[in-house]
Amino acid sequence: MSSILGLIIAREYLTRVRRRAFLIGTLLMPVLSALVIGFVGFMASQTEGETKVLVIDRSGLITRWDDGYNAWVPTHPDCFPERADLTYRFAEEPLADSTFMNSDFDAMVDFDDAIVQHGKAMLYYERSPGVVVQGKIQSDLSQAIERFRVKSELALDYETYKRLKMKVSLVGQDIVTKDRGATGRAVIGFVFSLTLFMLISIYGAQIMRGVIEEKANRIVEVIISAVKPRVLMAGKIIGVGLVGLTQFVAFIVIGWAMTALGGFLFEQSGLIGGDTALQGAGLDWKSWLASQDELSFLLDVNWGVMALATAAFFVTGYTLYASLFAAVGAAVSEESDAQYLMLPVMLPLIASYVMASTAMQDPEGTMAVVGSFVPFSAPVMMLIRIPLGVPLWEVLLSLLGVSLTAVLVVIFAGRVYRVGLLMHGKRPTFMELFRWMRHRS
Amino acid sequence: MSSVIQVEGVSKTYRGHRALKGVSLEIPQGGVFGLLGPNGAGKTTLIRMLAGITAPDEGRIAFFGEPLERHHQMRVGYLPEERGLYKTMKVGEQGIYLGQLRGLSRAEAIRRLKVWFERLEVDGWWNRPVSDLSKGMAQKIQFITTVLHEPDLLILDEPLSGFDPINAQRIREVVRALSEQGTTILLSTHDMPSVEEMCSTVTLVHQGEVLLAGGVSKLREQARQGRVRVVFEGEAIGFTAALGAAAELISLRSMEHPRHHEAILRLPESADWPEWVKWLASEVRLIACEPYATSMREIFIQAVEAKSAEPLPAT
Repeated sequence: MSSILGLIIAREYLTRVRRRAFLIGTLLMPVLSALVIGFVGFMASQTEGETKVLVIDRSGLITRWDDGYNAWVPTHPDCFPERADLTYRFAEEPLADSTFMNSDFDAMVDFDDAIVQHGKAMLYYERSPGVVVQGKIQSDLSQAIERFRVKSELALDYETYKRLKMKVSLVGQDIVTKDRGATGRAVIGFVFSLTLFMLISIYGAQIMRGVIEEKANRIVEVIISAVKPRVLMAGKIIGVGLVGLTQFVAFIVIGWAMTALGGFLFEQSGLIGGDTALQGAGLDWKSWLASQDELSFLLDVNWGVMALATAAFFVTGYTLYASLFAAVGAAVSEESDAQYLMLPVMLPLIASYVMASTAMQDPEGTMAVVGSFVPFSAPVMMLIRIPLGVPLWEVLLSLLGVSLTAVLVVIFAGRVYRVGLLMHGKRPTFMELFRWMRHRS
Repeated sequence: MSSVIQVEGVSKTYRGHRALKGVSLEIPQGGVFGLLGPNGAGKTTLIRMLAGITAPDEGRIAFFGEPLERHHQMRVGYLPEERGLYKTMKVGEQGIYLGQLRGLSRAEAIRRLKVWFERLEVDGWWNRPVSDLSKGMAQKIQFITTVLHEPDLLILDEPLSGFDPINAQRIREVVRALSEQGTTILLSTHDMPSVEEMCSTVTLVHQGEVLLAGGVSKLREQARQGRVRVVFEGEAIGFTAALGAAAELISLRSMEHPRHHEAILRLPESADWPEWVKWLASEVRLIACEPYATSMREIFIQAVEAKSAEPLPAT
């Protein structure tokens, strides 16, 4: 019988994995996700070419006349670095509108000594520069004015001022576990639970469609004359589940390869060195990541444990839901009839996804904790908590709960499946389904 | 002759409907066994039990003397009335899969499939998906996957439906050949000429009960009830006058030839057949005189109608 089960698993697995759609989906999904993220980032960093700005310092706060250049130059040139997308020229008097329009300047920033009080400068343009460029101009100008004020009002050396200046950021830490970066890691947990939710929904629905197809084209009668219905159901669930696991592993491998490649390209690009303080330090991207307050939690996530936990909860959670989907497929004759039976199956799954997205804000809250032990929501909910450091016994207990429930569901769904396979025509009522569940053999 | 299948007192109830009511029958080894009955008689229920899909509520089924169990299905081939294949799978792969499910090794399944594909002229379709096949072609593939593992018992439920006359004849020949090679065949069909042509024994079920059972020739002989068929040349009035009380005239009709008539008569039990023919030949110009061949169709209809005419049992 085990060889028969193997045959069924192999058929279910191979017919799906060999499909072009599977290959394309598995390979393209991570690549497309990365491309979309990369594209958005790239577009955000891009401006429409070089922007040339004329800075009008009417009161001579941040500029001085340079005889050598025969032009106004910034008192502190490092406040106005030359960039590929932004260059500055300086003047004491603004250009007349017509002269400005005929010049090669794209924008004109105008201020006098009142800027020290109200902190505002006028930006004139014919066509508004992009948000990113405006941000850079604002930041450059703020720094220059700040340097002027440090010097004139505090009579301090700017380097001394920089040393004194403080920027406070909040770093969360669990008082018991001494854990930091919990919120960030809850997001990572959510990404995994979202992946699990998608895998269970997609492959659960595939089981259902597969059963309906077998039933509709009547081949099931030939198959179950040679194979016990429960073996057929098990083969189908395992075979399709392996397809899901294959895809999950492929995502992990491709994701890992892309991260490594992205990290390498990032190092090569010199972007890490953009921060002058770290320039020339020969940093790799991991050290760079560790130095970033907002991102350092990524290094604290135990990715191996996450992958393992996702796989374990996938196997148990998927078995639980897949057998329900199989029963739904067997109970109906056409896919359109399946809708009303799908609802009670999908409802706990969707509810756990919604709860998970809320629990992300409060991963140790009552809802998250309770949800991670209720067998129907545990697979999706527990994954949010795991990156925060859940005691092993809690994970195992939750896993045990899901497994035991899955066994029970498999038994009852198996009965519905066996009876339903040979029923055609009128779709069964819920009462009939309960009667089928009591049907032992 | 030993029996392949012995069904004893089998009953089955679905959703309050008694599909089978204590059915007993025996399928002898070798030959073609016809399972007949009107729609809803319980044939499919019985067949599904023999194919191991459902179990009886009461009664016993034996396969070669042993209680029928799952492992016996490796020796059974089953072609259900409503059939199908996995549409997206390739023809060859599907054949191998179904063969392996019935216990064949992959290599053996491939070897036998190639032989059968050539025999039924479907070679060249090996790598095509089933969705590309015509209905008749798909039927042939299904037939092949049913017989591939060389079962001892082959259950064929309406095997000829969907075939054109040429392919139907080819399948008939294959079934006959398999029967000659020792395969026992259970044929369930509404096509009575096929029953007359192929079946050695039949069982007629109706409303979940066995109405008739026995050898085809014996049943036909029993149903003849002393009837003879006579074709003569001459006037019908003269014939009936000459017949007098010597035989009961059941029917008389003109034939295509303007002076030829066909009469169905019933002879008295005491009649001496050679003497009677000699006497008739002296009275009319006799063209043919033979025992009346009762059709299975007639037997079927008579038995079912007689059962339906019975008063309902008091409850």
